[in-house]
Amino acid sequence: MSFSNLFHNYHYIGAMILFCIGLYTVIMRRNIIKKIIGLNIMETSVFFFLISIGFLEGGLAPIHVEGVEASQMVNPLPQALILTGIVVAVSVTALALSMVILLYRQYGTLDVDNLMREEAEEEEETPQEKEGMGE
Amino acid sequence: MGAYRHFPIFMITLPLLGAVLLPILGYYRRRYVPYAASLPLLASGVLGILLMNRMPVEGYLSYQMGSWPPPIGIEISIDFLALFVMLVICGISLLALVFSWRYISKEVTGGRIIAYYSLFLLLSGSMLGFVATGDIFNLFVFMEILAISSYALVAITGNRNAVRAAFKYLLMGAPSSIMVLLAIGFLYSVTGSLNMADLATLISQSGFTQVLIVSYILLVIGFGVKAALFPLHLWLPDAHSIAPSPISAMLSGLVVEVGAFAILRITFSVFTVGAQNIIGGTVDAVSVAAAAAVLFGGIMAIYQKDLKMMIAYSTISHIGYIFLGITAFTKEGLTGAVYHMLDHGLAKACLFLCAGAFIYVKGYRRIDQLKGAWQQMPFTCAAFALAAWSVIGLPPSAGFISKWYLIVGNIEAGRELYVVILLVGAVLAAVYCFRVIYYMFFQPPEEGAWESGGPEAPVSMLVPVWVLSLGTLLFGVFSYLFIQSLLDAAAFLL
Repeated sequence: MSFSNLFHNYHYIGAMILFCIGLYTVIMRRNIIKKIIGLNIMETSVFFFLISIGFLEGGLAPIHVEGVEASQMVNPLPQALILTGIVVAVSVTALALSMVILLYRQYGTLDVDNLMREEAEEEEETPQEKEGMGE
Repeated sequence: MGAYRHFPIFMITLPLLGAVLLPILGYYRRRYVPYAASLPLLASGVLGILLMNRMPVEGYLSYQMGSWPPPIGIEISIDFLALFVMLVICGISLLALVFSWRYISKEVTGGRIIAYYSLFLLLSGSMLGFVATGDIFNLFVFMEILAISSYALVAITGNRNAVRAAFKYLLMGAPSSIMVLLAIGFLYSVTGSLNMADLATLISQSGFTQVLIVSYILLVIGFGVKAALFPLHLWLPDAHSIAPSPISAMLSGLVVEVGAFAILRITFSVFTVGAQNIIGGTVDAVSVAAAAAVLFGGIMAIYQKDLKMMIAYSTISHIGYIFLGITAFTKEGLTGAVYHMLDHGLAKACLFLCAGAFIYVKGYRRIDQLKGAWQQMPFTCAAFALAAWSVIGLPPSAGFISKWYLIVGNIEAGRELYVVILLVGAVLAAVYCFRVIYYMFFQPPEEGAWESGGPEAPVSMLVPVWVLSLGTLLFGVFSYLFIQSLLDAAAFLL
C-alpha cells in the first residue's frame, strides 16, 4: 500500500482515531458519565466510517429517475444501517444514564474506583447482609 | 410448499409481539400478565417442533422477508443446528418463565413485574432472531435487543448491587457491540453485501485479506464478550449471581450460548472453513483462551462461598468446552459443541433455579448454609444433584454425551493437549459439584437452619426444576435420536 492511498482514504484514519479516543475514554476514565461519553464517541466514529463508505463526491440522491445511472448515486444502504444504529445507540445511552442516576442515588458517587471499593468492603464485612431477600 | 415455510418468522415475532402487547394487558388486568407471557413462548416452541419434522438435515431453510430475494432483502435462514438451538431457547425460556410466577414477586414489586415479563419475552424473542437470521446486520440488531433487555433484567430489582452489576455488564457489552458494528462496516466495505450466504462466496473471492482478518478478530471479540469467553468474562460472575434467579438461568443457560453460536455461525457460514489464511490465527488464539477458561472457571468455582457465584464461574468453564468443540473444526467437535449448548443450558438453568428455590424458601445464598438442606427440601436437592451430575459429565447424562463428542472431535483434530484439559475440567467440576452435594446430603444441619417437614418449594417452582433435571438425563439416554442428524448437519458446514 502506497502513501498516496493512505492519504486518499484520510476519512478512514479520522474514524479510527475517533474510535481509539472513545475506547480510551471508556477504559481509562474513572467518571462513569465520561465513560458513557466515550461510548458515544466510539459509536459516532463507526457511524462516520460507515457513512463515508457509501459517499460519492458529487453523487445524486438515490431516487430512480430516467437518465440517471445507479453508479452516479450515493449508496443509500449505509445510511439506512446508520439510522438503525443511531436508534440502538440512543437506547443504550438512555439505559446507561438511567443506571447512572440509580447508582448516584444509592452510592453518592460517580467514581468507578469508589464503586469498586464499596463492593470489596461489602464482601468483607457482612455476608449476613446478603442473606436477606432484598439482595 | 405448505404453511410451514412461514414458521421461522412466526417463532421470532410471536415473543417480540408479546413483549409489546403485555404492558397493555398489564394496564387492564395485571393478574393475567405472568400466564399470558408464557403463551407466545409455548406457541413458538410448538411451531419449532412441527418444523423439526420438515427440516432438511443438510442445507438451509430460507425465508425471505417481504419476498425480496436474498442479496437485497433480509433473509432468515435456519439450518438444523440453528433450529435445534432455537428449540432449546424456547424450552428453557418457558421453564424459567414458569419458575418466575411465584419467585419474582419476592424480588420485584408493583409495575416492575409487568416490565419484567415484557423484557423477558423481548430477551427470548431476540435470542430466537439472533440464532435464525441470515443477514449480518440483522444479527447486530438482534444482538443489541438481546443486550439491552439483559442489562435491564439484571438491574430489574433496582437495588445497589444489581444496578452496579448491570452497569458493569453494560460497560463491557456496549463497546463490544460497537466492535461488531465496525466489523460489519469493514465486511461491507470490501464485499458490498450483508447477506451471510452471499458474503461466504464474496469473501472467498475477495483479495482484501488484511481487512477480513481485522473484521474477523473484531467479530470474535464482540461476540466473545456476549459469550463470556475468557478473558472477556469479567462482567459474568457479578451479573449472573446478583440477577434474579430465573434471569440468572436465562443468562447462563442461553445468552452466553447464543453468543458462542454466533461465533460458530460467523466462522462456518460467513468466513467458511476454506478461509484458513483469514481465520486460522484467531481460531488458534480462541482455542488457547477456551482452554484457559476451562481451567480458570473450574478453579475459581472451587473457591466460591456463594452458591450462585460458584455456578456462574462454572459457566465460564463450560463456555470454554463449547469453544474447544467449535475450534476443533471436526464434525464430532461441532456436534459436541451444539449438544453441549443443550445440556449445559438445561443443567445450568436447573442449578440456578434450585439456587433460586433455596433463596425463595429460606433466603440462603452461601454454600455452607446448605448443610443438611436435604431434610427440608428433598425434591430441590435431588434435582440439583441430578443436574450437577450432568455438569460433571458422568454417564448417562447428556453432559457425558456432549463431552464424549468434544473429546472425540479434539482427538480427530490431533489436539491431544486440549483433550487433557477437557478431562481436567471434568475433574474440577466434580470437585465443586460434589462439595455442594456433600453439604446437602451428608452433613447435619446447623441449629435451626433446616427442619424436616418444613416448607418445600412451591409446585410451580418444582415442576420447571424437575423438567430441566430430567431433561439432562433423558437427553443423555435418548441422545441417539439427535446425534446422527447433528453429525450430518455439522458435516455439511465443514
